Amino acid sequence: MAWLDHELPENEAADVERHVKGCEECRSRVHVYEEAGDLFEAYCAAVMELKAKRNRPLWTPVLAGAALIAVAVAVLLAFLPVATKRPTPIEQLPVHALSAAPAPSVVNVGATSTRSSQQRHASARPQNSGRTLKQNPARNAGENEGADWISGGQNIQIAIPADAVFPPGVVPEGVNFIADLSIAADGSAERLDLRP
Amino acid sequence: MSGNSLPLALPLSRLATGESETTTLYRELRKPLLRYLVCLGLSMDEAQDVVQDAFLGLHRHVSGGGSQENIRGWLFRVAHNHARNRQVSYERRFGAPLDPEFDLLLDEATPERVVLEKEKFRRMEKAIRFLTESERECLLLRAGGLRYREIGEVLDIPTSTVGDTVDRAIKKLAEKCNV
Repeated sequence: MAWLDHELPENEAADVERHVKGCEECRSRVHVYEEAGDLFEAYCAAVMELKAKRNRPLWTPVLAGAALIAVAVAVLLAFLPVATKRPTPIEQLPVHALSAAPAPSVVNVGATSTRSSQQRHASARPQNSGRTLKQNPARNAGENEGADWISGGQNIQIAIPADAVFPPGVVPEGVNFIADLSIAADGSAERLDLRP
Repeated sequence: MSGNSLPLALPLSRLATGESETTTLYRELRKPLLRYLVCLGLSMDEAQDVVQDAFLGLHRHVSGGGSQENIRGWLFRVAHNHARNRQVSYERRFGAPLDPEFDLLLDEATPERVVLEKEKFRRMEKAIRFLTESERECLLLRAGGLRYREIGEVLDIPTSTVGDTVDRAIKKLAEKCNV
């Protein structure tokens, strides 16, 4: 092997070479050793190639997934503030709820509008079905004209089904409530007054 | 085979100052180092880390005025020691079968060739299990282009022992592989 690997001194290498040339058995052995060495190297190359290939599919989907997640998060962050700042206005309540409502009751929201910037008003009116309540259209019209219902200092009228608040039969039919609701800075209900 | 890649002593006098020399060295030795480490049982990621560490170490070594002789042997020795520190189970990892995914490497070959190559590799894989750790390392370093003297320096054994070990290992492989 040392001769094959050119590790012998020149004079020794020349002797071995002369012998190998004249010896069939040694030539055969040399061939076998060369082949074994080549096969070992091919095997090592295959191991490396295989590990390199195993490496690729592991990372490619992970990186692609991470990129997708990053894009999705970026899109969410871009649109989320807008979405959370704008509560659904009364005007956008489902049409069937509005059309199913009876004649409007009088809710004087404007009278309380100066009490607190965080004050909210709600009107509740139980129905036979107990399912639909409606905000005051007269007030809606005024608010629509005012347009800027989001800005601070204005009241928001929220229609809440009576069934969602009271047990069935507790509130007599045809009775409306005006609820003055103050909301604290942390979002919790600070004060709730119900007036018939 | 082992004497045809790089001279024993690389021109390291310029390594500390000339970036091109470092780059050349990196280009020439990166792949043999990677192959050696991967065949020792490291994953490709680990092997790449070790190679980077070895070259960083080389930079510090040369910057600190260390010996500039036989830098190839120095690099292999450093990488070898790093690899040893990382290996948890040398036997298990080196002996991990390749067979299930051999088709990946032979996808452009004819079916007959695929069968033959797979059979050859399978025999080689079995034969390697009969080698001692020292024999495997000697063969791997030899396959990496190192001379017997360099292999001896990496493994900290005499050059004559390297010759005997390589001889014994090749004979074992030839016998077990029925070459």
